[in-house]
Amino acid sequence: MITRLATGAALLAVLSFLVFVGVELLPGDPVTTRLGPTATPERVEAARHQLGLDRPVLVRYGEWASGLLSGDLGRSATGKPVSEMLADRVGNSALLAGISLTLLIPLSLGLGLLAATRRVVSAGALVLASVPEFVLAVGAVLLFAITLRWFPAVSLIPAGSSPLAHPSALVLPVLSLLAVGMAYAIRVISSAASTVLRSPHVEFMRLNGIPVLRTAVIPAVLPVAVQVWLVTGVSLVGGGVLVEKVFGYPGIGELLVVSVQSGDLPVVQALVLILGGAMLLALLLADIAIRFLTPRLRTAS
Amino acid sequence: MKWVLALVAGLIALPSFAPHSATKPIGAPYSWPTWAMPFGTDHLGRDVLSRMLHGGRPLVLTSLAAAAAGVLLGAAVGLAVALTKRQMLMWPLDAIAAVPPTLVLLLTLTAMPDRTGLVLAVAIAGAPLAARVTQAAAAQVVGRAHVEIAIARGENWAWLLGREILPLVGGTVLADAGMRFVSSVHLVAAAGFLGLSVSDSDWGLLIVEALPGAPLQPWALLVPVLGVALLAVSSNLFADRVARRSRGMLG
Repeated sequence: MITRLATGAALLAVLSFLVFVGVELLPGDPVTTRLGPTATPERVEAARHQLGLDRPVLVRYGEWASGLLSGDLGRSATGKPVSEMLADRVGNSALLAGISLTLLIPLSLGLGLLAATRRVVSAGALVLASVPEFVLAVGAVLLFAITLRWFPAVSLIPAGSSPLAHPSALVLPVLSLLAVGMAYAIRVISSAASTVLRSPHVEFMRLNGIPVLRTAVIPAVLPVAVQVWLVTGVSLVGGGVLVEKVFGYPGIGELLVVSVQSGDLPVVQALVLILGGAMLLALLLADIAIRFLTPRLRTAS
Repeated sequence: MKWVLALVAGLIALPSFAPHSATKPIGAPYSWPTWAMPFGTDHLGRDVLSRMLHGGRPLVLTSLAAAAAGVLLGAAVGLAVALTKRQMLMWPLDAIAAVPPTLVLLLTLTAMPDRTGLVLAVAIAGAPLAARVTQAAAAQVVGRAHVEIAIARGENWAWLLGREILPLVGGTVLADAGMRFVSSVHLVAAAGFLGLSVSDSDWGLLIVEALPGAPLQPWALLVPVLGVALLAVSSNLFADRVARRSRGMLG
């Protein structure tokens, strides 16, 4: 367990270095972004020195990393502290992913088990899994916002106010994320369930009149399902980039697109690190959950 | 399942049949459908049908190129790992797999905003999975008696790959290529949607352009949405079928 935690921490350190160096390699200069194209070469040079950009990458990585450990994410190219820019956004994205995941867990388990025996459900999941997420989101806009006019097409949420105060703006983004996550979760859960259903011990239990669903199928499917849910939960935050963009939802995905396009490197670095770190954490939790839910693994160690 | 191949071939051939230019306005902005313009016009008065027909070819060709490049790179690494049993060759691809594909796309296209960059980004995003699939399939074959006999006979690498391993692994790699094509279509369309497209009538670009004006002219949005969905669903069904058929080969 301790080695697993240490590996996780080491991976996070490696990830943070790759993120820092990788993003540094991108074209786009934070100084010209800040000063504008009319700045004279002397002013650019002075600003580079003032920001410390004329020093080696390794030194700057050291400073950035030590800042991270004390919770300081640095300053954006626009001069604002990154943590201030992220504060609301992270909460908004987490809220969106949280609601979607809460709905996803019971729905995907139910439909996944159903899909193991009903071809209609598994075919539906295959079709759903084929369509790109932003196309699903735009399709939802066409149907529910433009044709039926039930919900707004754009999430107009004023800065500083919580999306919870605008529940109708949340419906379509949640629905789109849910559809994306469901397609994958149903396919994995149903393939695990149909393997169990075909095994001899389940056949034997069924012949003896023992209810197989509660005693055999769900316990066998649960470790797989928990892993899928955790990974889906994180990918809902990160993979929600396009869905947030469709609805103009003020989350980290939308901020990421804007920051990459405007060359705001410190914000991109912080966001990539947060998304990567969340994924590593979810994989770690999935490992722990599998050990907890599979008695064989628990007693073996 | 031949209709899927016909669909892909059709999309490549269709620009020649477009009645109008993809970029020149031919009517008032947001005109509703008429006989001459079956899907109406977009926000600049351009013919939606012609833009759709012109946009299919770059989407399909870019996705094909990216899928092929990703599978070649992934299969090469996967075969190398299976043959040499050096797992560390896989590490760079594992690191890439931890980054969400949308992010790989954004970062690569910011550095190289052209078609080469797009193909590269999509290929890189797909290579880790192709490598895993190829390695898993090849690892099963490498331990078999006929391969060990060939090694003991002193056959060279080319013989081992071409005569002993690839004939058995090829089906799996081909099936995986189908899956890579599906995710390539997703990513290439997503690039268009994010305004990073490299053609002037990319279907993803059509979608993002039609979104604000959709209450006025929903056809300009509906047609590319259905187009991407149709291409993605049918190529996925095709890939699924190929994968199921090739699964029996290694048994």
